Amino acid sequence: MGTLTYLLRRILQIPVVLVVTTLTIFIVVRATPGDPVELVLGMQTSPDAVEALRVKFHLDKPLYQQYLIWLWDVLHGDLGSSVRLNRPVTQMLGERLWVSLQLATAAMLFALIVSIPLGIVAAIRRNTWVDYVATGYTVLGFSIPNFALALILIYVFSVTLDWLPITGIGSSTTRGGGVWKFISPFILPAIALGTVQTAYLGRLLRSSMIDVLSQDYIRTARAKGLKPLVVITIHALKNAMIPFVTMVAIHFGYLIGIQITIEYIFAIPGMGLAVLTAVVNRDFPVIQGFTLVIAVFFLLVNMIADMLYTLLDPRIRY
Amino acid sequence: MAEPQSLKLPADAGTQLVFRSGVYLASQQFMRNYAALVGFVILFLFCLAAVLAEWLSPYDPTLLKLSVKLQPPSLSHWMGTDFFGRDIFTRVIWGGRVSLLVALMVVFYSVMVGVPIGLLSGFIGGKLDNVLMRVMDAFLTFPPLLLAVAIVGLMGPDLKNVVIALAIVQVPVFARIVRSSTLSAREEVYIVAARALGASPFRIVFSGILRNIVSPIVVQITIVFAGAIVAEASLSFLGLGSQPPDPSWGRDLSDARRYMSDAPWLLIGPILAIMMCVLSINFIGDGLRDSLDPRTWRARTAKKDQIMVPEGVGTSA
Amino acid sequence: MNVQPVLSVRGLDTRFATGDGVVHAVDHVSFDLMAGEVLGIVGESGSGKSVTALSVMKLVVCPPGQVSAGEITLDGEDILHIDEAQARRIRGSRIAMIFQDPMKSLNPVLTIGRQLTEVIAEHLGLDSQASRQRAIELLSAVGIPRAETRLGDYPHQFSGGMRQRVMIAIALSCDPRVLIADEATTALDVTIQAQIIDLVKRLADERDTAVIWISHDLGVVAGICDRVAVMYAGRIVEMGTVRDLFHRPSHGYTLGLLASTPRLDDAEDRRLQPIDGMPPNLTGPMSLCPFLPRCVHAIDTCHEKPPEWRQVADGHGTRCWADLGRYWRDGDP
Repeated sequence: MGTLTYLLRRILQIPVVLVVTTLTIFIVVRATPGDPVELVLGMQTSPDAVEALRVKFHLDKPLYQQYLIWLWDVLHGDLGSSVRLNRPVTQMLGERLWVSLQLATAAMLFALIVSIPLGIVAAIRRNTWVDYVATGYTVLGFSIPNFALALILIYVFSVTLDWLPITGIGSSTTRGGGVWKFISPFILPAIALGTVQTAYLGRLLRSSMIDVLSQDYIRTARAKGLKPLVVITIHALKNAMIPFVTMVAIHFGYLIGIQITIEYIFAIPGMGLAVLTAVVNRDFPVIQGFTLVIAVFFLLVNMIADMLYTLLDPRIRY
Repeated sequence: MAEPQSLKLPADAGTQLVFRSGVYLASQQFMRNYAALVGFVILFLFCLAAVLAEWLSPYDPTLLKLSVKLQPPSLSHWMGTDFFGRDIFTRVIWGGRVSLLVALMVVFYSVMVGVPIGLLSGFIGGKLDNVLMRVMDAFLTFPPLLLAVAIVGLMGPDLKNVVIALAIVQVPVFARIVRSSTLSAREEVYIVAARALGASPFRIVFSGILRNIVSPIVVQITIVFAGAIVAEASLSFLGLGSQPPDPSWGRDLSDARRYMSDAPWLLIGPILAIMMCVLSINFIGDGLRDSLDPRTWRARTAKKDQIMVPEGVGTSA
Repeated sequence: MNVQPVLSVRGLDTRFATGDGVVHAVDHVSFDLMAGEVLGIVGESGSGKSVTALSVMKLVVCPPGQVSAGEITLDGEDILHIDEAQARRIRGSRIAMIFQDPMKSLNPVLTIGRQLTEVIAEHLGLDSQASRQRAIELLSAVGIPRAETRLGDYPHQFSGGMRQRVMIAIALSCDPRVLIADEATTALDVTIQAQIIDLVKRLADERDTAVIWISHDLGVVAGICDRVAVMYAGRIVEMGTVRDLFHRPSHGYTLGLLASTPRLDDAEDRRLQPIDGMPPNLTGPMSLCPFLPRCVHAIDTCHEKPPEWRQVADGHGTRCWADLGRYWRDGDP
């Protein structure tokens, strides 16, 4: 019962935070100079056309009304239409979010493939050269900005070696071209994005495992004469994974936010670029809609991360 | 009870307790961390270079000299030249001035705003705490880089706006950290005792609580400082920060990208600079984290029979 | 009738490399353990009792620790100079060990059923059905009601005494020749302590398992052990039957221990006598008796040469120069 009420409380907090977030963005956006309609139509159009468009997007009404209208629409599932592209925001969101999620998943997969063995081996061979190499790698991983790494990777693997493509995610040219054609454009962006995550997660797993391996129950497992592989994977990892999995969820949420530079370099039509374009063009509906979805996503991911902790640890579950 | 400067333990021990200030002990611990020291030196050199840019740089960073454009690294141009014939080494030095200055200002503003908010929230509590934290949460539910992009995009691409945007993003982080440290410090026995004795809140905050929160704040400052350098580079890379022809590591990387196939050396300078700065700050941060935690203070002095103990222990403080 | 000891330890030396030098945690320890007997090892923290047990099990962490000398045989076979794979086959099946804090010694994220059956499956090779059956039998044998339903429970769902019973079940699951109990009742309530002690004694009797009972509590030791070895600074300083030790203590340290333990038949105003001084620094070899700085019974010889092992009586020996006969008494320990 305790977990249930806790969950409910968390869920109820969400709308409050969302309102504050979107309201803040709303105010900031409106408060800064720049009229979307003018930007779209330019200076040559007739004042009537401009006025008509303004009415269509409710820009003639007072601020608070505009916000409430938007809120009302949202609750009915309508996020409005882009001023610039004249497309429903929900449609744009669908496409962009899907691409962003693919990229995030690819990056996270890369991060897991590297960080899990890294963390385990560094912990088992603690203070040996293996550990130092692993820790050194994580230190470097923290220190290089993802776009810088992307540029280096592109230079080495695309420009010089021509092994991997630079573009191709979300583009129609890759459809129906087979598995490699679909996967290959993800590889460089995933590595560029995921390297920082490998650093954090690898470090975390290492210290988690070191902590677990020094526990009494590991000594008991050894005293029982169990095979070392069993001791490590079942007895130790199961414990060390609990904080690790939680962090993975949280980092997955972060990935959506960090993606923008990678999207820019690799021409990936994801959420980050959409926000950037919308912001520069003062495309209010897009800004509001995307902001809302990103915030919801972030909150959901954090909530799931919390829940994971309670689900995985039997001491809390029972 | 008189204030002994050293305390002799019972008969056979022969070990003395020597009192030293907390600052002294912390810096001793810091000095023992070689990585942190190296980081400190490197960062210092970067700062020095940034301040003395005019005298140190061999060329003018913005002067176009198309006759020497896109030259690979040579004796006259240590890191080569870019598309406009500008010496890259010079631009890296001047870019350092921009990055370090931006990072410094971001830290300054976010601490100036975030710490008092956190203190107020934690110390006074109640409704004020609730309201403040809801607002902070609202900013925290948004991925920081994206938020900064949005703010700069709305306000116009300008370094000043970059500083404001990055500072806004970091304020909630500091506020939260300070708040939780304050909350736990507030329950410490000596704070409760001070209140019971009628000490003014001002005094409690300054001598009591601040001591506790210094450590997480300092550590967070190093994280924010390094993050701001990377963030400024990212924003400039996207075209939202430093505008041409001003030198900036991120901006230069954007140019480097364009000419990458012909002139890969354009990448080296800015990337190396960013990495070295961030690495040194990380090492410093690690060293600070260890040295500010009293539990890791190693007790021995140069004389093997003396144990160093923080002042205020065992005396009537 | 000359029966061979189940476990025989000769000249065991275990060293640890620390920042301050080499620590001789176990210094020239020798003892025999016969089938079905309960041997107690008594001493304060740092006396080397736990490290002795870990050395027998080859569980000493290799850097920084190392068994540097000695012979250990189990039923006549050398178990010290074997490789890790062979050692693993012995651990849990022929020699088993239980530890001090059952909450920390059981894995919190695995069911106790799992922690039981894995040992059974590993050493006895039974299939899951048979393992489960055996696990249920064992749990019942240690006194856990409704054993079948409890198999799927986690350690935190048991009370302290029950958890230790589970540990005993795990230890005895493969019918080991030797059971080592390292401070097994120290973390438990006094009333539960008595239950656990009785349980171990009964089960050991039933299965003819030899027990090494490690404790710093003389009262507990008196309750369960047949023979006792007293350890100080890594070496055995006195060894004999429980009676021998309690009635005719022959080492300064043993005397000190007895004097500092409250007894039911003490006079009301008898003051407990603690042993003055601090535990010894174990770095570097000992040239004289390690207890000398704290011993109130020291004689001149103690300051001249290190004590050698001498027989006080049949089966009772000590490493002390002094004659402490004036402290001997009769009656029950």
